Amino acid sequence: MAFYGLDAEDYDRIYSDRVLLSRIIRIFKPYRKSMFIIILLMLINSIAFGVLPVLTRTIIEQTNQSSYSLPLVVLTILITLGLNLLWFILHFIMQTILFRIVSQVSFDLRFKLNYAVLLQDLSFFDKFPTGKIVSRVNNDGARFGEMIHQSIGGLASLLILVVVIVPMLTINVIISSIVFIVVPFLFVLTFSFRKIVRKRTLFGQRSLALVNAFVQETMSGIQIAKTFRQEGKLFKEFNVINKQNNKVNRSKEYAMNMLWPLINSVIYILYGVLLYFGGSLIYKGTISVGDWYLIFQSFGLLFNPLLQLVVFWPQFQQGMSAAERIFSLQDAEADIEEGDYIFSDIKGKLEFNNLNFSYTPEKPIFQNFNLNIEPGESVAIVGHTGAGKTTLARILLRLYEFQSDNDSVKIDGVSIRDLKLNEYRRQVGYIGQVPFLWNDTIENNIKYGLPNASHEEILSVLEQAGGVEWVEELDSGLNTQIMERGKVLSMGQKQLLVFARVLLQNPSILILDEATASVDPFTETKIQEAMEKAMEGRTTIVIAHRLVTVRHVDRIIVLDDGKIMEEGNHEQLMKKGGYYSKLYDTYFKHQSYEFLEEHQPSRIKDTGA
Amino acid sequence: MRQQEIEKSSVLSIEDYFDISSEINLEKDPFENARLKGPRSWILSHLFYRKNKYLLLLYVVLSIIANFMLSFTIVIIGYAIEDIILSIGGGFAPNILYWTIVYLSISLGTQIIGVGQRVSRIILAQYLEEEARKEFYMSLLGKSQSFHDRQAIGDIMARATNDVRFLNFLINPGISNLVVALNNIIVPIATILIVFPDLSQLAIIPIIFVGAFLFSLKRYVTKLTPLFRSRHAEFGNMNAILNESLDGIEVIKSMAQEIQSIEKYRSSAVIFRDISIKAGYIQARYYPRLLIAFAITLGLTHSFILNYYGLMSVAEIIIFLGLLSTLRNSIDSSLYSFFYIKAASIGAERLIETMLTESEITNPSDPIVKKIEGKITFEKVSFIYPGTSNYVLKNISFTVSPGQTVAIVGTTGSGKTTMTKLISRLYNVNEGKITIDNINIQNYSLKSLRDQIAYIEQDVFLFSKSAYDNISFGREEFSKEEIIEVAKEAQAHDFISELPENYETSVGERGVQLSGGERQRIAIARAFLSDPRILILDDASSAIDAKTEEKIQNAISKILRNRTTLLITHRLSQIRWADLIIVLKKGEIVAKGSHRDLLINSEEYRKIFIKRFDKTYSELIGAED
Repeated sequence: MAFYGLDAEDYDRIYSDRVLLSRIIRIFKPYRKSMFIIILLMLINSIAFGVLPVLTRTIIEQTNQSSYSLPLVVLTILITLGLNLLWFILHFIMQTILFRIVSQVSFDLRFKLNYAVLLQDLSFFDKFPTGKIVSRVNNDGARFGEMIHQSIGGLASLLILVVVIVPMLTINVIISSIVFIVVPFLFVLTFSFRKIVRKRTLFGQRSLALVNAFVQETMSGIQIAKTFRQEGKLFKEFNVINKQNNKVNRSKEYAMNMLWPLINSVIYILYGVLLYFGGSLIYKGTISVGDWYLIFQSFGLLFNPLLQLVVFWPQFQQGMSAAERIFSLQDAEADIEEGDYIFSDIKGKLEFNNLNFSYTPEKPIFQNFNLNIEPGESVAIVGHTGAGKTTLARILLRLYEFQSDNDSVKIDGVSIRDLKLNEYRRQVGYIGQVPFLWNDTIENNIKYGLPNASHEEILSVLEQAGGVEWVEELDSGLNTQIMERGKVLSMGQKQLLVFARVLLQNPSILILDEATASVDPFTETKIQEAMEKAMEGRTTIVIAHRLVTVRHVDRIIVLDDGKIMEEGNHEQLMKKGGYYSKLYDTYFKHQSYEFLEEHQPSRIKDTGA
Repeated sequence: MRQQEIEKSSVLSIEDYFDISSEINLEKDPFENARLKGPRSWILSHLFYRKNKYLLLLYVVLSIIANFMLSFTIVIIGYAIEDIILSIGGGFAPNILYWTIVYLSISLGTQIIGVGQRVSRIILAQYLEEEARKEFYMSLLGKSQSFHDRQAIGDIMARATNDVRFLNFLINPGISNLVVALNNIIVPIATILIVFPDLSQLAIIPIIFVGAFLFSLKRYVTKLTPLFRSRHAEFGNMNAILNESLDGIEVIKSMAQEIQSIEKYRSSAVIFRDISIKAGYIQARYYPRLLIAFAITLGLTHSFILNYYGLMSVAEIIIFLGLLSTLRNSIDSSLYSFFYIKAASIGAERLIETMLTESEITNPSDPIVKKIEGKITFEKVSFIYPGTSNYVLKNISFTVSPGQTVAIVGTTGSGKTTMTKLISRLYNVNEGKITIDNINIQNYSLKSLRDQIAYIEQDVFLFSKSAYDNISFGREEFSKEEIIEVAKEAQAHDFISELPENYETSVGERGVQLSGGERQRIAIARAFLSDPRILILDDASSAIDAKTEEKIQNAISKILRNRTTLLITHRLSQIRWADLIIVLKKGEIVAKGSHRDLLINSEEYRKIFIKRFDKTYSELIGAED
């Protein structure tokens, strides 16, 4: 069968059943007391249930005799009622505890998984679509919970089995021994389903993740799809994925469901045998009708749990494959290992010594890169796309691991690999290229890095970032909900808010990857002014996409292909007449008449006519 | 000028649906009315949709046959015993082999029927899921942009996967257990009445049981309803939180806010957990379990009394008790059944809620399809984003002649981008109208309108597909050569060629990291390919490097030619291409005119440009001379 997009992710791995089981058991460890109570209650209930047919037999035996013992019959009936009530109460207690544990375990699992995911390196998210990760955390978590709940039933079955078999053996060894011949056969039968079920469940979960990822991506890009009228195209693709999901899950269901008619057939054949030989024995007078009834009834009681036990393993494979997906994600190793060094206060000396870095081995970004930045210095990095500007910022934030030795990147003389990440990153302010905001109020977005900030502090940074005026004009001012990614704001407004967010954090090192999206010059000037203020007394790295910024920094680094081509301040570089000056001239040239005439003479004449 | 939509081929393809339909309505939407009537009718209409109803019928019929056959096996055992007991007394040999063969053929026959029953059930369940998801997704695609603006994507994902999945569970374990439960109630009672025609009083206890059972079942479902409603909503919330966190993972990491995010997810997961525990409590306290205990004990007593008065034989007691104990099977089945039926109906509620959200953008009844010349007129247009109360645009009027270029400038948040979105009817205007070639855009077929307008956004979105597909959107009518051709025109060919797998490289959001300028050039290539009459360019790039800058300028200047263009830009070089400049401030046009006029007359315009590069007012004016 050819499927689309159902391959394993790189971090997927295959665990042996033993490892999976021991991990699943470990998850239940904190609840072992409750589990013990559940098992105890199940045992009592199994006994109560096992006694019921015996009681019924007593009554039948009585009726078959010529003389009745009325008190005995009444007593038996009362005991039957009592046992039934007891069973209900114990079952209630047991189920309540069980639901509690299952919900708690699913929660633990989900929480831990979410934790593990959020602690992954950034490179992890470059590789794996978020829609699939979301599906794994939530959908597989839910699947696992369901399977655990069903599986506990299997455990109960084992207990009931013991309770029912023992009295049965005492009645007639010949008939009971038939059971023991058939049961191993059933086990062999179902065991062969194990692998099929596991594999098909895995595919089923993957195809659901694919649906999830597709919906996520297409809904994110819906606007562009609309403007280009591509709904039909998306719908076609969706149909393929959706149909595949149908097909994959159907084949899983077939496998699971064909098991039952097979097992049932074996059991009914057994019943038939029991009827034939049992009937003959009654006729011969070897056993009584009551005994025979007991055996027949016990068979019913026996087989239900036995069947549960028999299909337990193949059924549990569904839980196992969900567990396998969950554990793989949980175990996916992060490249970055943090140290435990905590700065009390970063001064801001940055050193890059012989830095080597590449996203993919074929395409190195930095080779033996060297750069020193003094505390409080502001440095602008200039260069064309792919020169490694953004990468430098990411390495400095320790979002990506680099390939050279320990001392290649140092902050205040300490290797970046020795740092405790959270504490370090809190002192580094980073403004990314695309302004990302949360589905929350403006106020909460600003104080994202500092949840306890006061209202005054928020207003003050907003003022600094030049946002007070327009924020006040919004529906609910600072309390305006701005939707996912700040959808209701304009690009410029988003940039200003991101700026305010970082200012509030008051970082020792500021890294500014300028937005490529342009805003109007007025707003840009505002951002510019705020930025100049922010640079004061801080080590600042500006990844420049706009030349205005560059003029005000202490040093400009021109980067090409991971190498420094030129460095110096604006005046020095302009005098030098190298790459930078050419760049600067071109930029201004675009603002000039000559450029226009050179490129658009025909058009100007056209419209002029 | 008006012409009928499309030449109708004999079979309508999906694309045709979109052609003739509006942004929302498929012409043939079989579930439209049912949706309006609520979750129950909607689910039913899906169950009875096309082949589903035959599958359902087949399933139910096979189930009933199988169950009747199964309970008949109990009767046969009773007869066999009676035969044996009679033969002991009567001195003739019982025909045990005969009964065994009858027993075996009935029970094994049941298993064969069981296969058919299961297969029909599985197919039905999976198709139900597939069709509901398809309907839901189709409805999502048809929604207006303002709808999508308001939705959390994670919640939509939860609806499309989790809530839809519950429709699958509606069949199994929902309806499949309902059938089992019903069979295990009706069949034993019916059998009691058939087997004991003289002792119909035996049916009294089971019937009283059924009454009490139904009563407590109703209470059970009533209690589950609000819990399920919040459980499904919370699952959506959990999904939304997680999805958003992963979307903004770079911000979380760089600001060291992992713990805050984890907490946020945790608090939602805690609510979800607590709801599950509560639902579990209600399941555990399922009273029918208690009722059956009474019913069986009373039945036992009843049959014993009858036996005492010589009205019932031992064999009859065995049959009766056997039938009575099958009532027990209905307990757990009904518990699961209604648990999942309720969950499915809540899922359906959530799906319908989304699908019924009104989409204000609909195709006109008599849509106009024409080749656009390119005259655009705004007549007193005002606009408020749905769900908010502030005017984003107020009383906007202007006209652009075919082939002209209009530059729109204004400070951030002044409504520039919004204005351009109105032209392709991503949103409807609140007041006034927009016309293209003197026809209100609301009268155009959406397809015709949007096909002829290309939009190069500020923040170019790329799908995680190949560069080819991102340029062509996978439209097969374009050859690879044509795609490469437009990529060259858009100055995108060079950098695409340098990607690891050239045009086959997947360029999605996180695949290969393309810069803003590169993304923009892909968008320009898209626009070249669709060869629009109207072009809207929200100039986003501010590339610093000379080569790139020149390339982008080249590409943009080429694409502008012979098209009506709306340009949001603040580059003087581009502004100079404009035939008209519109200055927006807080949603209103504060000035219109040429660059020079505006520098002299518009304070807002000066405010925007005067500080640029430390140039003075006179310098800027001077550049004009």
